[in-house]
Amino acid sequence: MITRFITQVTTKFNPFSPQSKPARLFLSFLPPNARSSGMNITAQLLPRHSTEKPTLYVKFKDGKEMNLDCEKLGIKSIVEEVDRHSRILQKAADLANA
Amino acid sequence: MPPRLRCTAVRGLGSAIKPSKSRTATHSAALLIPSAQAAVSATRQYATAPAMPFGLPDDYVPPTRPPTARPADTRKSQLLRTYTSLLRSTPLILLFQHNNLTAVEWAAVRRELRVALREVNVPGMDSEGISSRTHIQILRTRILDVALRTVEFYDPSKVAPTTASSISGEKVKVVYNHDLSKAAWQAVKDSTKDSVPENSTYAQLSPLLVGPLAALTLPAVSPQHLAAALKILSPSPPAFPAPTRKKAPGYYDMHAQSGLQKLMLIAGRIEDKAFDLQGVQWVGGIENGRDGLRAQLVHMLQSAGMGLAATLEGAGKSLWLTMESRRSVLEEEQNGGKENEKKDE
Repeated sequence: MITRFITQVTTKFNPFSPQSKPARLFLSFLPPNARSSGMNITAQLLPRHSTEKPTLYVKFKDGKEMNLDCEKLGIKSIVEEVDRHSRILQKAADLANA
Repeated sequence: MPPRLRCTAVRGLGSAIKPSKSRTATHSAALLIPSAQAAVSATRQYATAPAMPFGLPDDYVPPTRPPTARPADTRKSQLLRTYTSLLRSTPLILLFQHNNLTAVEWAAVRRELRVALREVNVPGMDSEGISSRTHIQILRTRILDVALRTVEFYDPSKVAPTTASSISGEKVKVVYNHDLSKAAWQAVKDSTKDSVPENSTYAQLSPLLVGPLAALTLPAVSPQHLAAALKILSPSPPAFPAPTRKKAPGYYDMHAQSGLQKLMLIAGRIEDKAFDLQGVQWVGGIENGRDGLRAQLVHMLQSAGMGLAATLEGAGKSLWLTMESRRSVLEEEQNGGKENEKKDE
């Protein structure tokens, strides 16, 4: 997963519900130096019996915001969605450098 | 120096283990004692055991190596055994999700945890022992899943004995009910998603077994130690504040902070029951541990008894009060009458 262009990740999930799986896996995909390189990560845990939907909000460097639906999308589709925009940014960055 | 004598009997040892063509067919490959025939041809005479086929029966199973359902000498199998024994022996386990902590960060987290636990002192409890045996370690998620199922759905006492031959060739009944046995494997295999009851601990914990997991294991349920660990690993200001910068400068070290940010407390397993974050904090918030709870109970029972006694006493007391007040009124009237009479005179 390309994480260079992500500036903010905000998630809220109930770990006792199976729907929280994509959100938790997304957090585990972020690199070890994510916070020190300026990414703002907040994860809020809901109590066990809450039926609130898990949310995953991703913001990119160019200001694009994504609200990913953890219930419908699996981790693969979420990574695909995020990477689709990251690749555009990567292309732009490569062209700017060259 | 005595001349070296050729001793065929001794040489026979090697050939006995690897039977040569010239030797007559033996019952077992592991024939250790040379036959009498070999001893006769020796230049020296040795005291030998009477010629008998000495060897292990073909279906002999060494007691230290019971049959297993999966290869016993792999790392995964031994991890499974470790986890089952951990789950059986540890009453308090906190599960964390660790998001790519580096080794330096792990070291810093462990150091801070150790420092905080060392300061806990509970009278009447082996607090030093608890502190020294409290560890935070990474667990393999899928193996932990199998271990949880083994612990909950496999009952080793119900395994039927099987026959195996002992070292002397006798048939004996043996029970193979260890955690790598076929019975355990079958029990885990049978505990599918549909057959697991919803209120079982495994069913509650199974959605948590996703992604990278680490476990904090405490050898005893000690709320004070749990509170100290929570203050370090997942501080939440009013009840479990993080240590101050003055008290624990190491806690505000860059590595420790970045490591702690990546650790997420997701659940706890306390005395075989699943607890969420609030539940774990509730257990950590029990003051004075189990004794404190007992004292609370005693106080509650005592105050209830006192209330009951007061209620029962109340009717008699109010009657007495009424009568007493009536008496005093009457006496006053009498006295008042007398005084009036005196005044009149």
